[in-house]
Amino acid sequence: MRLRPAVVVLAGGLVLAAGTPAIWAGSRPPTAAGPPLTSVVASNPVPPGPVPRPAAGASDPVVHPADPLPDAPMAAPVRLVVPDVGIDAPVDPVGVIPDGLLQLPDDIRRVGWYRFGPVPGQPQGSAVLAGHVDSWNQGLGALSRLRSVEPGQRIAVTDAAGQITRWQVGTRQLVVKQQLPLPDLFARSGPPRLVLLTCGGPFDERLRSYRDNLVVVAVPAP
Amino acid sequence: MIRARFLGLAAALALLAVGLGVGPASAAGTATVSVLHAVPGVTVDVYANGQKLLSGFTPGSLTDPMPVPAGSYDIAIFPAGANPSTTQPAAEATGVPVPAGANATLVANLDAQGKPTLNAFANDVSPVPAGKARLTVRHVAAAPAVDVRANGTPVITGLTNPNEKTLVVAAGTVKADVVLAGTSTVAIGPADLSLAEGTTTVVYAWGSQSAGYKLAVQQLSGMSSAPSGVPAGSGGLVTDRVPALVVGVSFAGLLVAGAAGLRLATRRG
Repeated sequence: MRLRPAVVVLAGGLVLAAGTPAIWAGSRPPTAAGPPLTSVVASNPVPPGPVPRPAAGASDPVVHPADPLPDAPMAAPVRLVVPDVGIDAPVDPVGVIPDGLLQLPDDIRRVGWYRFGPVPGQPQGSAVLAGHVDSWNQGLGALSRLRSVEPGQRIAVTDAAGQITRWQVGTRQLVVKQQLPLPDLFARSGPPRLVLLTCGGPFDERLRSYRDNLVVVAVPAP
Repeated sequence: MIRARFLGLAAALALLAVGLGVGPASAAGTATVSVLHAVPGVTVDVYANGQKLLSGFTPGSLTDPMPVPAGSYDIAIFPAGANPSTTQPAAEATGVPVPAGANATLVANLDAQGKPTLNAFANDVSPVPAGKARLTVRHVAAAPAVDVRANGTPVITGLTNPNEKTLVVAAGTVKADVVLAGTSTVAIGPADLSLAEGTTTVVYAWGSQSAGYKLAVQQLSGMSSAPSGVPAGSGGLVTDRVPALVVGVSFAGLLVAGAAGLRLATRRG
């Protein structure tokens, strides 16, 4: 009978040892949901390089005045909403910073739209919206809840003219930053997609940086 | 004169073949050629290998890039409607090599002295970094050396007919003008130039003193690159790294269980 407390303590210790990490892991959304990224975006059918417009035939080339071209008018996206996870953020056009990395809005509550790529709703290519998951001095960012997005959920993007494009999540994946298929995610041609990007995975305190990017790829909602 | 020009044309295309690394990997047997008419005042028909390629081609007109079979081409331009078998061409070039995979623009223009001629230019369609545009300026006007200014600052200096210069610049719209080299005497412009990201924008300064000087613009797309990365977090608030507390509690559980196990073992023994 004197053995009993020791058995209880042994069992309790083991439960604590195994249960704590298990409960912690269970509290985290899974690292991926939906098909792998490569099968979703790597099927860009148009190779990079100049795209010759199809000629009607050697005897009938398309001729036009060689006048300076006006800027193509477009309505930039201004708002991103993912109702199922509570994302509702204003969107600003962004470019690249001098070292070639994607620029993001300084205010981490705002989301950036890559202005050199397609506008959401354009018939070709990937429109890219990216936002902070967090920052060291501003707390959680606009896309901190992107990790909870599940395939099949809806996304709505509103443009400056008030037009709304609607999307359906196809996949959510964590990808090590060095292995990100950037040319495919930022494709200018191929099927229309909406790509949402933020950071995720293990955080490196020394580099103040996450190991992975969280990638959500959505297709036009049916 | 025109025959002499042709040497330059052939050399340009030969360079093009080398410069673009044209080989079996390129689209088998096809090249991409655009044609620009930059001879003021005369509407022409353009013939390639004796066949009419373009008719009623007016000054300042440009074709879209045309896929053509690689090979050797005899190019000639005639006044519109003229019978090519009985009329002297306004300009001609024979045996122009068009290698597979090449992207070129064939330009009918005036040389520096005002004589019609043909020039072939290789278009640089290699990728540019994200956020950038390539700007190529070609001097095909009957004019002396010029400088090209963007927003008032000379970016290309001392450009002469029939030469070109290329820059990679930040994408955006610039106010461009052309001045006589080393002066601020404006010959053309200013004009708003949209240098779209991921494109090669080719600007031609063409014309003559009597007919006036103009800019022609050709834009080739598909040279874009993706950004090199997406740095979107610096807080560590949602890290997947196992927190120290979890590790500590788990380890403590292990220690307690170990101690209890040891105790059990010794009591039994």
